[in-house]
Amino acid sequence: MKKKSKDRFQISNLKSQIYIVFLLFTILCSLGIIFACTPQRDKILRKTKIMMDTIVTITVVSNSRGDANNAIDAAFSEIERLEQLTTFFSAQSEVSQINKNAGISEVKISPDIMDMLDKAMFVSKETDGAFDLTIGCVTALYDFHKKTMPSHDAIKKNLYLVNYKDLVINKNRSTAFLRKKGMLIDLGGVAKGYAVDKAVEALKKRGIKAGIVSVAGDIRVFGSKPEGKTWKMGIRNPRIKEDSLDDIMATIDLKDMAISTSGDYERYFMLNGKRYHHILSPNTGYPAEKCQSVTVVAKDAVFTDAFATGIFILGVEQGMKILEKMGFDGVIVDSKGKIHITPGIRGGIEFKRTY
Amino acid sequence: MNLKELIKSTTIADRILFFILILFSISGIVFIKEVLPKGRTVQIEVNGQPVYVLPLEKDRIVSVEGRIGRTVIEIKNHKVRLIESPCPNKLCIKQGWIDSGAIVCLPNRVVVTIGDYRDENPPLPPFNKDREIFDIDAITG
Repeated sequence: MKKKSKDRFQISNLKSQIYIVFLLFTILCSLGIIFACTPQRDKILRKTKIMMDTIVTITVVSNSRGDANNAIDAAFSEIERLEQLTTFFSAQSEVSQINKNAGISEVKISPDIMDMLDKAMFVSKETDGAFDLTIGCVTALYDFHKKTMPSHDAIKKNLYLVNYKDLVINKNRSTAFLRKKGMLIDLGGVAKGYAVDKAVEALKKRGIKAGIVSVAGDIRVFGSKPEGKTWKMGIRNPRIKEDSLDDIMATIDLKDMAISTSGDYERYFMLNGKRYHHILSPNTGYPAEKCQSVTVVAKDAVFTDAFATGIFILGVEQGMKILEKMGFDGVIVDSKGKIHITPGIRGGIEFKRTY
Repeated sequence: MNLKELIKSTTIADRILFFILILFSISGIVFIKEVLPKGRTVQIEVNGQPVYVLPLEKDRIVSVEGRIGRTVIEIKNHKVRLIESPCPNKLCIKQGWIDSGAIVCLPNRVVVTIGDYRDENPPLPPFNKDREIFDIDAITG
């Protein structure tokens, strides 16, 4: 009798143990589900790297740190890949191959370089040759680090090689050819903008809904900030003391747009009271003097990048006409420091202090 | 009453309650680990290659060899600054202490980043007061 009762007690004990384990499991599972379903807030992750000889910053909005990190890394590697293709400094890059075979033979090029050249040619046509990739052989004469000017004769000699119409691209055979020996293409005017567009594409492909890619002054934004606000861009003041931290001339709110600025203050040296900067006119071979800075706003960074350079060379009057024709927006600071803006930008721009 | 008797005298309900309590404390630990910020780190990159990843908690001074010379970085009180740089304009040193975002020295190819993932907008390199006041996300030009 006594033994039987003990047995019964053991059985009920076993039952309760199974019951508890089962209950535990259920609670654990439901807790796990609650954790998994709790929506995590969107946060901003920003990373900076030195690439393409400049500062590259990628900003991403995501509710997962891991996703944000992976997407940023993917975008960085996309920029690195394009850098390999476009660099002026490596003899292996496709650009160097095209330059080496100038006047000799056509060179097989990858779809990215074809796309860049095609878009650059479009901008050259629209700016009546003010933006010209083949300015490379004149740019190469200047040394902005050593602050040396080339001789007038040297510029004159190379200037006859500058003409975008002598760059022949064949889409069917995917080749590029420079007609005259000694010609040099410099993708500096489109490569950064193009890289920005491709990096944005890479972020979107990884499910990122909002962010910014900036390669130097070429920026593209998409989506909006965590609180639903639009991204705010700062436009640099073109005249500020050399050693001070940069100052902002105006701010502009952007949504799903690209913005670029070309200025005479980025790379320059002063010689006998004159400013020699890196934006050279394909007509004269000397630095363009009609503007201090040109900012262009459009959908694609490759176009804002190239048109900003072209319009900088052309000046306010023709520049405004081009912006209107293309349906772009812009801010032009002319050589006297006067600011001109397109009508479309009026609501979204805010000038600071003296401006 | 010793421990054995105490355990024997518990009912099923007691045990369930006990387990639930344990469960809640464990989930509490997990929750805190998820929500509270993890130990933040300082990453120092030269020529695109990470050279150091250091905890922000520990004060120290490190130096790296960049493209044109030596850059000296100081970590103190959860903040970072550059104290020596061979670059001509010394913008990286003028930037001063940062507790988020990055310091970039383009001439020497050195990037110092505090690995942040935050609600608000981390400041842009090179740091400028204007950018804080106006909450600017990127700068063109």
